[in-house]
Amino acid sequence: MRSILGWSMLLLVFVVPVLFLFLRSITFGWRYPDLFPSDWSMRAWHVIAGDPQILQALLTTMLVGITVVALNLLLGIPAAYALSHGRLKGVVWLETILFLPILVPVLAIAMGLHITMIRLGLADHISGVILIHLLPTLPYTIRVLRSGFDRIAPGWRRLGDTLGAPRITLFVTGLLPMMRPSLRSAAVLAFVISLSQYVLTAIIGGGQVTTLPLLYYPFFDSADQAVIAGFSVVFAALPAVFLLLWESLMAGFTYLLRRT
Amino acid sequence: MSSSVKSWLLLLPLLVFMILFVGQGMFRAFQESLDVGGSSGIFANYEALAADGTFHAALGVSVYVAFVSTMLSLLLGLLVTRTLTSWMKSDTWKLGAWFPMLIPHFVGAYLILLFFAPTGWFASAAASAGLGFPVMVQDTAYIGVILTYVWKEIPFVVLMLLPVYQEMDGRMQEVSRSLGAGRWTGFRFTEWPWVRPVLLETGLILFVFVIGAFEVPALLGVTYPSMVPVLAFDWFYQSGWSTRPLAQAMMVLLMLGSILLALLLLTTAYRWRERGRSHA
Repeated sequence: MRSILGWSMLLLVFVVPVLFLFLRSITFGWRYPDLFPSDWSMRAWHVIAGDPQILQALLTTMLVGITVVALNLLLGIPAAYALSHGRLKGVVWLETILFLPILVPVLAIAMGLHITMIRLGLADHISGVILIHLLPTLPYTIRVLRSGFDRIAPGWRRLGDTLGAPRITLFVTGLLPMMRPSLRSAAVLAFVISLSQYVLTAIIGGGQVTTLPLLYYPFFDSADQAVIAGFSVVFAALPAVFLLLWESLMAGFTYLLRRT
Repeated sequence: MSSSVKSWLLLLPLLVFMILFVGQGMFRAFQESLDVGGSSGIFANYEALAADGTFHAALGVSVYVAFVSTMLSLLLGLLVTRTLTSWMKSDTWKLGAWFPMLIPHFVGAYLILLFFAPTGWFASAAASAGLGFPVMVQDTAYIGVILTYVWKEIPFVVLMLLPVYQEMDGRMQEVSRSLGAGRWTGFRFTEWPWVRPVLLETGLILFVFVIGAFEVPALLGVTYPSMVPVLAFDWFYQSGWSTRPLAQAMMVLLMLGSILLALLLLTTAYRWRERGRSHA
């Protein structure tokens, strides 16, 4: 009974508002003070689907997000493993440095980097945007992966040594599959954080790199509520699309492992 | 190769990136905030800020919004975690709590607008009940901004606290109940010592995030007083970059404040954890 109450509270506060967005996007002329919509229309979705700028921005956003996730894992997996199993001295200080981007405002760092990025030719370019998105994402990746590695007992390593398997084989075939839930959380989190960036993209991208948020902001003040609602639904749906891509990638990876 | 050398090698790419990028960014921001070769001294921009009413207002409202959002998120997050871990048998409910984590902050801001705007759904509901509705978005009290952050950050607090509650030894609570402790005393002695350091760290992350974030106040805030990041972004591009050093100085101050706060809170959390360990 109590668990039903708990679930309905959670759904009401956290999930229903997002469904409300979808409802808003398929209504017509639902204005104050109407409590309920009177007419339905797919007009907003036609506007969104018919806008070539939005389609282009969607591709850019996915490209940025996926590259950011890949770089996060590439830098994060070895580092988190070392932090968790390396028996390093001064880990507290090391972690403080790695967590700096969430201990100081990223905007300050990005503003400071602007001129440097221009000099390096990274400003106004997608590569600069990808690099700057690493700042707010890496600390979370490290944190999630580290606690994932912490949960794996060090005994598996000794077992592998006894069996005489090379370390790297062991890592790929033994450890990474065990890390699957943590890797998934880290990847989704990094993707969502990248998807949520407006100001970093605006500064480093210089208006030349148009991701979806850069189109969303000008839309926000427009009177066309149904279109903004639909646009918001796109943002809510993208992490699900990413999760689908991720799971198929993992399934493919597992299949390859089984065959070899 | 010894195990610790290998560990350092594994950490190296990330460390190099952080030092090059974060270090460079922080250093350049500071450098550009200085007035080198000017007639009014190297810290002229900081002196200008100290006398600037717009900056004072921005700083005031930023601290207020960050503090209130953080406190409400921590309090409600703790409440939700405690209630739901005791109500639910399995922990699948955390999937429901995960949900807002997947929604970008600016979409959260739009949701708040949809429900709380003067022409929003709650206003419609109030009107059909014959009641008025207060202005809660794009208001000088920043209620809409605070509501957005609280909605978005409660799940974050829950996910940070959940491991603590999952690892907590339920027998402690039983002992305290059988010794006749009330609910408050029970909480104070069987939960608080473990929850406290996590709350402090989570609160630090939230406070620094809210005080330095542009996305939500840019949509739901007002022009005066604006929050520091919105003002800084404005000055960063205003009148052909001439106010850019002021914008940098403002963000450097925010950065220094954050570092001081982090040092203070992280060492406190560390000390609490050590004390907890020696008691156990």
